[in-house]
Amino acid sequence: MRDDPSVVELVTRAAGYDQDAWNELVERYVPLVWAICARYRLSSHDIEDVSQTVWLLLLEQLRKLRDPAALPGWLATTTRHECLRMLRASARYDLSDRYLDYIDDAALEEEVITAERNAALRAALDELPPRCKQLLMLLISEPPRSYAEISSVLQLRVGSIGPQRARCLDRLRRSRHLVTFIDGAGNGAPARIPEGEPHA
Amino acid sequence: MRNGPDDEDLLAALRAALRARAEVPPEHVAAVKDVYAWHAIDVELAQLTFDSSREPDAVAATRSESASIRALTFTSTHLTIEVEVASDSLIGQVIPPQEGDLEVQARDGVTATVPVDGIGCFCVEPIPPGPFRLRYRNQLNTDVMTGWITL
Repeated sequence: MRDDPSVVELVTRAAGYDQDAWNELVERYVPLVWAICARYRLSSHDIEDVSQTVWLLLLEQLRKLRDPAALPGWLATTTRHECLRMLRASARYDLSDRYLDYIDDAALEEEVITAERNAALRAALDELPPRCKQLLMLLISEPPRSYAEISSVLQLRVGSIGPQRARCLDRLRRSRHLVTFIDGAGNGAPARIPEGEPHA
Repeated sequence: MRNGPDDEDLLAALRAALRARAEVPPEHVAAVKDVYAWHAIDVELAQLTFDSSREPDAVAATRSESASIRALTFTSTHLTIEVEVASDSLIGQVIPPQEGDLEVQARDGVTATVPVDGIGCFCVEPIPPGPFRLRYRNQLNTDVMTGWITL
C-alpha cells in the first residue's frame, strides 16, 4: 500500500534531507504552480523559469514555514507574485492587457482547491487494482474510445463494461484520499465529488 | 449497478485531474525535483529587484545618451549582485564588496567561473548566449545564486 503522508509530514521530511518527500511535494503541487502561470499566459519557457524560482524559494522557506499545512496556499501566492514579477521584468510582454488577468485571492483559492482535489483523485486512481485503473484510464482517454475498442483492449465483453465501470468508480469514490471531498463526509469539504448512490 | 450522472461527473473530474498533470512537461517535473540538490548546499536565492529596461525614467535618460547600458540588480538577504550588460561582456559588482568566485551556469551546467576581486568586481566574457544564472561563493561560506537571466 502506498503510504500517504500529509503535507505537513512531507514538508517536515523535506526540511531535513529527504529527496523522496520533496519529489512527492513536486508531484502533488507542480500542476498548481503551472496552472497559475498558464493563467497569466506566460510562454512555456517563462513558466518553467517562474516555476523553478518558486520551488527554489520554497527550498529556502522549508524550515521557516509557519504553517506547513498551508503550503499549497503559499505556493499559489508565491507563484502569482513571481508571475507578476516576470511580466514586469520582461520586455517581451505588453503589460497593458495583462493586468486584466490579475488573479484575485478568491480565484487563487479556487486554484488551490482544484489542485488539492486533482492530486487526491490521482492518488486514488493510482491505488485502484490495475484492471480498474486501466478501465478508467480508457474511459477518460482523449479522444474518447468506444466500448467496442475498450472491449478489445481489455478482453472484456461489451456488456460487462458498464457494470465494471460502476464498480470501479465506486471503489474510487471510497478511496481514503477522497474522504474529505465526498459529499456528506466531513463538514464544509472544500470541493465536492458527487456521491455514487442517491440518498435512500 | 447504475451509470448515473454522478458517475459521469466523477469521470469528468478524473479526466480534469489527469489533464492538469499532463500539462506539465516531464522534463520540467524532473528539473524541479533536481532543484532539491541545492538544499544540501544551502544556497541563497538572489532575486531580480531592478532592471533598467523596465524603468521608464531610466529608459528615457539613457536613450538620450549614445550608449544605453542595461543594468540588473539581484538582491538576497546578505548581498547584492549588480550586473551591467556591455556590448560583449557582463561587468558587475558584489555588494558589500568581497572576494570570491562567480560561476556562470547555463541550463546544462557550469559554463565558466570567473574571479571576483577585493572590491567585489567581476567580468564575464563573452555574454552567455542563452538563459543563465550567476552563483557567487566565497571562503566565508557565502553562497548566493541569481534567478534565471535571459537577456
